[in-house]
Amino acid sequence: MGNADVEDMVQDILLSLHRARASWDPTRPFLPWLVTIARNRLADNARRYARRNALDLAVRDITETFCDVPTNGGAESVVNFLAVREAMNSLSPTERRAVELVRLREMSLVEAAEESGSTVAAMKVAVHRAMLKLRTALRAKE
Amino acid sequence: MQGDAPDHARATEAMIDRLSRAAGPVRPLPPPWKRVPGWLALALGFAVAMIWAIGPRPDLAERLVDARFLLEQGAALATAIAAAMAALALTVPGMGRGWRLVPVLPGTLWLGTLGLGCLRDWAAMGPEGLRLSPDPACFTFIALIGSLPVVVLYMMLRRGVPLAPRLTLALAVLASAAIGNFALRFFHMQDVALMVLVWQVGAVMLMAALAALAGRRILRWSDSGLPA
Repeated sequence: MGNADVEDMVQDILLSLHRARASWDPTRPFLPWLVTIARNRLADNARRYARRNALDLAVRDITETFCDVPTNGGAESVVNFLAVREAMNSLSPTERRAVELVRLREMSLVEAAEESGSTVAAMKVAVHRAMLKLRTALRAKE
Repeated sequence: MQGDAPDHARATEAMIDRLSRAAGPVRPLPPPWKRVPGWLALALGFAVAMIWAIGPRPDLAERLVDARFLLEQGAALATAIAAAMAALALTVPGMGRGWRLVPVLPGTLWLGTLGLGCLRDWAAMGPEGLRLSPDPACFTFIALIGSLPVVVLYMMLRRGVPLAPRLTLALAVLASAAIGNFALRFFHMQDVALMVLVWQVGAVMLMAALAALAGRRILRWSDSGLPA
C-alpha cells in the first residue's frame, strides 16, 4: 500500500467525521467517537482493498486486457524484445560482445577490455558504433 | 509512490480547509432513549388506527384480563422498544457495544412465554394444542402494520452513522414487526402458543433476517451534506 492509498484513507475518514458530526454528543468523551468512526472506515476500506486485490490477481495472468496493442504491457514488451534481438543480429561479433559486456552486464570499460582481451579505447569505439547501428536499425522498424 | 506524497498531503490539507469552512452548525442527535418515545407513539398510533379499521376481536375484553395474554403482549412490546433503542444506539459512534444486547432479555422473555404456552396448551388440549395449520395472513398483517414504523425508524437511523448496517437494520425491522405482531393479536383470533410462535414470531424473525441480508445495501454512508 503506497502513500497515496494511505492519504486516500485519511481523506475518507475526514469526510466521514464531517458527515457524522451531528452524532457527537459534547457531554460524552470525544475519543471513543473518533476512534469508532476511524476504525469503521478502515475496516470498510480494508474490505474494498482486499476485493480489489483479489480482482487484480485474477486478471494478472490475462495478457490481453485491451484491444489496443500499445496498452497491452505484456504484448508490447514481447514486440520490443524481438525487435532488439533482431537489431543485435546486425552487429559484428566484436560489437555485440562489447554491448553485452558494457551495456547488459554493466561492466566498466576497463573490466570489459580485460574480459575480452581488448583495450579501453577499442571497447569505447565498439560500443559507440554498436549503439549507432542499433539506433538506426530500431528507428528503421518504426 | 514516494514522489507524489506531497501532492496528496496538500490535497488533504485543502480538504480539511474546505470541510472546516463548510462545517455549519448541525442539530445534535438526541440520545436513543429520548428518540424512542416519539417513534413508539407514532407506531402505536398507526397500530391503533389499523386495529380500529380492521375491527378488534370480539373477545378482546376477556383477553385483556388474561395474565398470559398480557404477559405475551408485554414481552412483544418490550422487545420492540428494546430493539428500536438498540438500533438507534448502534448508529451513534462510541455508544458501546453492550447496546446490541439490550433486546436479548425481552426477546428471551417473549419466546419463553410462548414456549411455556406451548407446554401449557399441550397439557390442557393434548396433541390438538400442538397442531400446526397454515396461517399466512399473519405475515401480511405484520408487514402492513410494521410498514410505517419501519420507514420512520429508517429515516431516524439515517441521521446517525451506519456503523453496523446489518445488525442495525435487522433490529429496526424486528422492532417494527414486533409492533405489528403486538397489534395483530388485538384483532386476530389466534392464541394457540405454537401457532403464534411459528406464524407470527416466525414472520417477525424472517423479516429481521431478510433485513440483515440487505443491511449493507440499504444503510450506507451518504454523500449528502458534503461541500462540493
